[in-house]
Amino acid sequence: MTMVSMMPPQVRIRRQTASGRIALALFVLAVIGLAAMPWWAKTGTIRMVLELCCYVAVAQMWNMLAGYAGLVSVGQQAFMGASGYALFVLAQTFGVNPFLAVFLSLLVPLVLAVPCYLLLHRLDGPYFAIGTWVVAEVFRLVASNLPLVNAGAGMSLSVMKDYSAFQRNIAMSLFCALLVLVSIGGSYWFLRSRFGLALIAMRDNPVAAASQGVNVRRLRFMIYVAAAVGCGLVGAVYFMAQLRINPPSAFDPMWSNIAIFIVMVGGIASIEGVLIGTLIYFIADRWFGEYGASYFVVLGVMTVLVALYARTGIWGMIAARWDAPWFPIRRHLVLERDKP
Amino acid sequence: MQWLDALVQGILLGGMYAQYALGMALMFGVMKIVNVSHGDLVILLSLVGISLASSFGLGPFTVMAALVPLAVGLGWLLQKAVLNRVVGEDPLPSLIATFGLSLALQNLMLQIWSANSRSLPGGGIESRSIQVGGIHIGLLPVIVLVFAVALTWGLDLMLKRTRFGRALRAAASDVEAASMTGINPRAVYAAATAIAVGILGFAAVFQSLRSTVAPADGGAQLIYAFEAVIIGGMGSVWGAFLGAMVLGVAQAIGFRIDPGFGVLAGHIVFLLVLATRPQGLFGRA
Repeated sequence: MTMVSMMPPQVRIRRQTASGRIALALFVLAVIGLAAMPWWAKTGTIRMVLELCCYVAVAQMWNMLAGYAGLVSVGQQAFMGASGYALFVLAQTFGVNPFLAVFLSLLVPLVLAVPCYLLLHRLDGPYFAIGTWVVAEVFRLVASNLPLVNAGAGMSLSVMKDYSAFQRNIAMSLFCALLVLVSIGGSYWFLRSRFGLALIAMRDNPVAAASQGVNVRRLRFMIYVAAAVGCGLVGAVYFMAQLRINPPSAFDPMWSNIAIFIVMVGGIASIEGVLIGTLIYFIADRWFGEYGASYFVVLGVMTVLVALYARTGIWGMIAARWDAPWFPIRRHLVLERDKP
Repeated sequence: MQWLDALVQGILLGGMYAQYALGMALMFGVMKIVNVSHGDLVILLSLVGISLASSFGLGPFTVMAALVPLAVGLGWLLQKAVLNRVVGEDPLPSLIATFGLSLALQNLMLQIWSANSRSLPGGGIESRSIQVGGIHIGLLPVIVLVFAVALTWGLDLMLKRTRFGRALRAAASDVEAASMTGINPRAVYAAATAIAVGILGFAAVFQSLRSTVAPADGGAQLIYAFEAVIIGGMGSVWGAFLGAMVLGVAQAIGFRIDPGFGVLAGHIVFLLVLATRPQGLFGRA
């Protein structure tokens, strides 16, 4: 009998839930549906969905930075503009195939993010955020003075004329699917991996996580670079669809406003929150966007109210009531009874 | 001579930036908070001042006498209504709250005053200048610099000598220990923000006298204040003042090299300081 009690308890780690399986199936369907858009949607719809996918991806990148890594950035537009410009230079000036150039242009945010982080991580807490804004301003001013990118006048992507409307629709739809797959699917995979475990530990308490062997500095650096590349992908795809780029649009701080609104209202540190927030922002933008300034006043006031009174956002309120995550990342230990 | 001129003009420009930077240094020093709407408050106060001047025909210094108490009240209200709820270890809530406030303020100003640039009529004060050894020195920039020195000196003296200054420094170094000795941190915080925004009342008048203001200009002022604080080194008000001088000189020299390079030169000096001396030029390591 003593043998039995000496034996370690039989446990199984449960990582998926019924709600998670349903959501995963829907997610796969959604990605396939996005990729197949040319066969069921009009060009106008595809453009609208593309914008939506850009919001999802930028917001999720901001969520990984602020929600998990503790790095609040208000300057991710730096990397969007940098890779957008890289795409235009590669495709328009050097004649690289524009669809290939989207991927090549990701090297620019990858390379730029490293020195940026090495400088910015020296600023503590809130100063880091303003520092990221300065970096975005530097990028904008450099682009405004750089003859290679036609300085302040901006560039056009006229090489896209070589492709038929249907071909462009196929490309845009595939990029939509890729954006969602990389930002949401990639984050989900990352959060479920060993790194995710470390990241969640770090989010809850960086000092305690470090004492458990989590390399907090390296993890933060990795997230910052990954988010820069993710935002770079959004920038390249977005400006490819826009066909025009100039310094104020490429480095538009509005992207930070949107990402912060989406993540804070939807619910920080959750993938579900990003999806909810994006939907709310997108609908609000369609309905109230015409009111211009007063619409942004409401958006700003809502952000303040969420920061003051409902820091977990909408998803936080839902999760407190119903335990049915769409993207479960927790590990449950289930005790198994001895089977006869 | 051209470079000496740039140096002089840069120092005078630094006087303007010092007035933005003092409040930011004070708030960060006491609460570890950065108010993202710092620049938008300058613009808001400027626009209120311009409207006051045009509807009642007030001179710039009368406007200042009205704006400074208004700014103090605004700062106190900001702390009571918003910042006291978000102050704490985690920088995220305060950043997000003030970021949202900045977005709301900017667009509210856009609705009230439209996107046009305006300026405050100074009754000739803004165009008067004196010539010293071949360099034209504007009277207004000298007044701005004198005010900046006086404000920095006054703030430093208040922090070092007065009872309130001691309470502020105590709350800054250890909130809990300070509250044990009978200091109410919330009240101290409210006073600190009131002073920080109050200084912006002076800055608003000078900013709208020196150049034009438009609702979207706040972001740039926030960035200049931030750069001055980091260049100078956190921890002292004189650090912020000297950082503002360095930033002003960097921008003035940049403008001489190429008009498109001025602001960028300031950013580059900021990044260089961050790379080589992250504690700031005048900060303690």
